[in-house]
Amino acid sequence: MISGSTKPQAGSPIAIGGESFVVELDRFQGPLDLLLHLIRSQDIDILDIPIAHITGQFLRAIEEGLDRMPLERAGEFLEMSATLVRIKAQMLLPRPERYEWEEDPRAELVRRLLEYEHFQDVVHVLQTAEAQRGRHMAKGYIEDRPPPVISRPQLEVSLRDLLEAAARIPDPVPVAQVRPPSATVTVGEKVSLLRRLIGKAKRVALERLFKPWGTRAHAVAALLAALELARQQVIRIEQTKPFSPIWLFSLATGSDRSGSADTGADGPELESSRVGSGIEENGPRAAGAEELS
Amino acid sequence: MRPEQIVEATLFASQTPLTPAELARADESLDETQVERAIEVLRERYEEDERAFQVYQLGDGFQLLTRPEYAPYLERFDSVPRPPHLSPAALESLAIIAYRQPIGRIEIEDVRGVSATSVLRTLIDWELIRVVGRGEGLGRPLLYGTTERFLEHFGLASLEDLPPPDELPVALGESEPDEAREAEPAAPPAEL
Repeated sequence: MISGSTKPQAGSPIAIGGESFVVELDRFQGPLDLLLHLIRSQDIDILDIPIAHITGQFLRAIEEGLDRMPLERAGEFLEMSATLVRIKAQMLLPRPERYEWEEDPRAELVRRLLEYEHFQDVVHVLQTAEAQRGRHMAKGYIEDRPPPVISRPQLEVSLRDLLEAAARIPDPVPVAQVRPPSATVTVGEKVSLLRRLIGKAKRVALERLFKPWGTRAHAVAALLAALELARQQVIRIEQTKPFSPIWLFSLATGSDRSGSADTGADGPELESSRVGSGIEENGPRAAGAEELS
Repeated sequence: MRPEQIVEATLFASQTPLTPAELARADESLDETQVERAIEVLRERYEEDERAFQVYQLGDGFQLLTRPEYAPYLERFDSVPRPPHLSPAALESLAIIAYRQPIGRIEIEDVRGVSATSVLRTLIDWELIRVVGRGEGLGRPLLYGTTERFLEHFGLASLEDLPPPDELPVALGESEPDEAREAEPAAPPAEL
C-alpha cells in the first residue's frame, strides 16, 4: 500500500478527458459523487486509490465553489476532505509489524464509494423506467378544451345578502298607473330634509329620505344629498357590507346641529340644488331646480 | 354483458389505475378472479387486433395506456402538465429506499453522503414514499418505504420488477469487492 504516498501533481492542471481540470461543483450531488467522478474519469482502480493524489484533486475542486455553497452543503464536502486527509495521514505513517493485520485505512471509503456507485446503477434503472413510463399515455393526456370564460363580478356576497337585497326592492309599479307629470324632486329639498332629520337624531337611515315617496327619483336625489352633505363634512356615510342599510351619521356638535336644523335654504343648499340639478320623475322638465326650494 | 366488456368500459372511463377489487364494483356478478380473467382476455384481444393501447399493470391497479410506439404522435398535442422528472437527488434517495426499505433518514444520508431531510419531505409530498414504521434505535427514528404511487410513477407492477441488487453492474456482496466488479457495465438509459 505504498501508492498512498504518491505525491499529487500540485500546480499543474490535471487533464481529465483532454480538458483542463475544471469541476463544476453544482453538477455533483455531494462529496461521494465528486470523488467517484475523479476516480472513474481517470480510470483509477477503486480498490487501490492513490489517496494523496485524489485528496489533492478533491481539495482543489472544492476550493473554488465552497464559498458560494450553502453552509450545510459546504459542510458535507468539508467532512469528506477531513476524511481524505485523515486516510492520507494514516497511509503515510510507518506501520509496525504487529499491526499488519489491521485494515487498509481506505477500506471504509472504498466500501462507501462502491455502495454509492451501486445506487447510481439503481438511479439509472429508475430513470429508464421513468422514461419508459412517460411514453405510455393515459386517458386525459391531451389537454381539455378551455372551459367557457365566465366573468364574475368581484363582489363577495352570500345567498342571504342577495335575498335580503331582493326583498328590499319594491314591487314594480303597475304600468297602467297614472302619475302626475313633472313632479320634480330636487337635491336641495333632500338636503333640507336630511339636515332636519340629522338635527334630531344622531344617525339617519338613507332610506328615510326616499322610502315614503317610493320612487327612483327620490332615491337618487336622497343619495346625492347625502353625498353633498358628506362632502361638506356635515355627515358621515357608513355601510357595513354590500346591500346592507346605509347609515348617515351626524358629524356636527350639539350647538351646530340645532343652529342648522331649520335653515332649510341657506347658501350651500341652494348651491347644491343647482349643482345636482332637478331630477324629474316624468315627462319634460317643467321647472328649474329652484322651484321647490 | 360479458365480464370483459364491463371491465373494458370501466377501464376506458378511468384516468387512474383501478384494482381488481375496484373494477369488480362495476357489477354484482363480478369478483376479483373474474376481473383478472377478463383483463387477460382483453390483453390477448388487443394484442391480436394490434390496438394502439393495452391494459398495463401499475402497482396493484390496471389502466388502459397507449403503447410506447405511439408516443411521438401524441407528443405533438398540448398535453395536461404532468409532474416533472425527478431530480437526481430525489432519484438517489428513492433508489436507496426502494432497495433498503424500511430505512431511516440517517441510513439514507450515510449512503448518499449528503443531507436528505428536504428531499424526503418532497418525496412524501409527492406520495412516492411514506412512513412505514419506527426503528428500534435512539429516538425511534421514522422508517420510510415506497408507495403504490412509486410503482405507478415508474410503471412497475411490483418491486420485483426492479432488478435484484446482485444483478446490478456494481453489485454489493458480502464477499470480496473484487467479485463485484466483474459485472457488466450499465446499460444506457433508453430515454431520448
